[in-house]
Amino acid sequence: MAKPNPLLLALGIPAAVLIFVAVVLAARQGGKFSDLPPFSPEAYRKDWATLQGNAYVFAGQVDRQLAYVEGSGRVLAVKPVDPAKGTGAVPVRVPAALGANFESGQRYNFKLRVRRDILEVEDLETF
Amino acid sequence: MRPLAPLLVAALAALLPAEGRAQGAVGQPGAAVSGGGGGDYRSSTSENMADRLFDVNSDSIDMENGSMQWKGKTFNLGNSRMMRARFERYLAAPPPAQETARYLALLARIEALLSPAVINERTWAPNQQEAFNLLFEAARYEQDGENSLTLASQIRKVWEQRVEFRNMGVNHNQLEALRKKQEGVVVNRGEQMEIANDQRAEQGDKKGKGGALVKSTAGTTELGFRVKEEQKTQAEIVANQARMTALALQAQVEFQSQIVQYLLARRYRHCIMACAFYRVMFKAQNQNVRVGAKEVKEFFPISDYVPTLESLDGLCREAINDIAIGMRTVDDLYRQGEVYGAFERLQETYFLGENEPIVQGYDPAKKRVMLELWRDLRELQRVGDERDLANVDQYLNQVSARAKDFPAAAVRSKVEAARNASNMQLLAARQAVLAQDMPKAEAAVERAAKIWPHNPAIRDFANQAIARQDVLAQKVPEFDQLLADGKRRDIFNRRDEFAVALIQDKDRLPKLKEVVTKVGEVEAIILQASSLAAQGNPYLAWDLLQRAREIDANDLVLARTVAEVAPLVADYARFQAQAAKLEKDGNDAAALGAWMAAQDLNPISEICGAAVKRLAAKVAGDAAAAPAAGATDPGALEVPEAPSR
Repeated sequence: MAKPNPLLLALGIPAAVLIFVAVVLAARQGGKFSDLPPFSPEAYRKDWATLQGNAYVFAGQVDRQLAYVEGSGRVLAVKPVDPAKGTGAVPVRVPAALGANFESGQRYNFKLRVRRDILEVEDLETF
Repeated sequence: MRPLAPLLVAALAALLPAEGRAQGAVGQPGAAVSGGGGGDYRSSTSENMADRLFDVNSDSIDMENGSMQWKGKTFNLGNSRMMRARFERYLAAPPPAQETARYLALLARIEALLSPAVINERTWAPNQQEAFNLLFEAARYEQDGENSLTLASQIRKVWEQRVEFRNMGVNHNQLEALRKKQEGVVVNRGEQMEIANDQRAEQGDKKGKGGALVKSTAGTTELGFRVKEEQKTQAEIVANQARMTALALQAQVEFQSQIVQYLLARRYRHCIMACAFYRVMFKAQNQNVRVGAKEVKEFFPISDYVPTLESLDGLCREAINDIAIGMRTVDDLYRQGEVYGAFERLQETYFLGENEPIVQGYDPAKKRVMLELWRDLRELQRVGDERDLANVDQYLNQVSARAKDFPAAAVRSKVEAARNASNMQLLAARQAVLAQDMPKAEAAVERAAKIWPHNPAIRDFANQAIARQDVLAQKVPEFDQLLADGKRRDIFNRRDEFAVALIQDKDRLPKLKEVVTKVGEVEAIILQASSLAAQGNPYLAWDLLQRAREIDANDLVLARTVAEVAPLVADYARFQAQAAKLEKDGNDAAALGAWMAAQDLNPISEICGAAVKRLAAKVAGDAAAAPAAGATDPGALEVPEAPSR
């Protein structure tokens, strides 16, 4: 068997590792909502009307629960995980049907649907 | 005799209200020199003061009734105005032209001629005549007032009555003689007829005829005429006796009337002379006083008193003596500088014996000084009667300057008390006005005016009331206009004047209170916010200002303060404004997001916390798919609709 070219190995292996890591990170960051555009709190605050009907993925950290209505849902204050997207929390409505537990500091990828002016959580995944 | 000063005090004390009078501080100007005041000012206080200065139980002058009490005896001096005028005229009058001493000596001579010590059978007629002649001489003196002529006329009349009486006595004797003669004729005729009848009866018996048939009536007619003549004479005698009795009584009555008249007119010397003449001219059995006995008895309060000429004579002599003492007292007081005391004594002495030569002849220079005092006292009394307390001081000073013994302090004290009482009533009126008790205020002002009608404070009070009415008339429409324009800050800044003007306006006063309360709250918040902003807490200051805007968003001061603080909290203010607008439009979730953004800037904001809590609950309970009723959908137009088939 022919001995592999050492130079090729020296360049190929790190490249392969880098590609792998990049794929893993990319897969990990978008999660199952990776096909959705990221949510911009700034854009929402500025003009929520233009976002109506759209769905977004929002990587956020639960700050606190603002309200809870039995059988209807709850409203959470969620801060974006990425500081570049701002530090201010946005109100997110979680329907009761979603049946999730929330604690302050938990991180989720929220699939948000902008219904009128409400950020409604349609799905979520922790990360 | 009642002095003037206590009366002035009493009159001024009458100015005091009922409370003051209840304490006995009321006077009596019954003897007030100016009169005219009316009302009964008599009080124990004034009497006590009078007692202190003069013994009212001995002498007193009642100017109001025009009478004078002297040693328990009352003289009616006539109309009080005339009485005052007479006294003033006396003070201003010059002394009599003739020499008083010669006149008095003349009167003494008349009295001496008629004295019981010198009257006897020999001197009875010549002394009467000489005294009678001297009366005409006395009448020439001014002091006499020609009263001696009146007395002389009376004496002459009695003499003539006496002659007439004597003539009637002669006539009486003649009639009596005639009657006796006629009586003798009647008796003689009767006896003759009886004898003739007896003779016929004897002749009839002898002839055998009955006695009754031989009785004759011859001479009966003549007898009847004789009897009638005798009866006529008898009647004339009785009538003559009645005329004599009446004449004698008339003489007594007329003379006694003249005596009493002299006494009541306080012509004591003429009364004494008349008594002397009467005593000489009438018999002892006619010495009792028949005329004016009732009036004379009033001089002597003794139950079984019998008035006699001697009692009248004694009364006159006592009065003359008192007058002499009184005038000496007057002069002595004057010389000691006690002009007021001298004036008082002169007044009472004058009214006791104004016709006495010693009174008439008093020094005119001294009388002139007392006349000036009298005029000042009258003015003082007048201002007192008119309750012109402001001018009392002026006249008090004048009187005090003329008479250092005048008790001005007591008068001043009463005046001051009256002033205070009036001012106290005005104070009560002001308090009543503030309490909106107008009837009570009116009553208090009325009492104040009654006590001191010329009180300048009453005029001020009235002016204030009028000004208040003017202000009220102006302020009401002004208030309405400012309220309609929403200029509550202007109303607040002028709240005191509006409060005074609207204090009785039941409709507007609550509105004024509401404005003042609200603007007051805004004002307090503004102060607090300004302080917080200055301390580096602009967000809290902003929150406070927002609360103030909820109370009155149109307040100019608030708007200015907001404008000052706004640059310090630009983002915060922007988020709040955005949130408010979104919430107002029904976009609760978007509003919630804006409130949360604001809360991030000011985590301790109560306004933000409350809004977040409120909106979060709404959003949590609200199905996102079902937009709130009435909520706008600002993005609807921006989202293209799906193409229809």
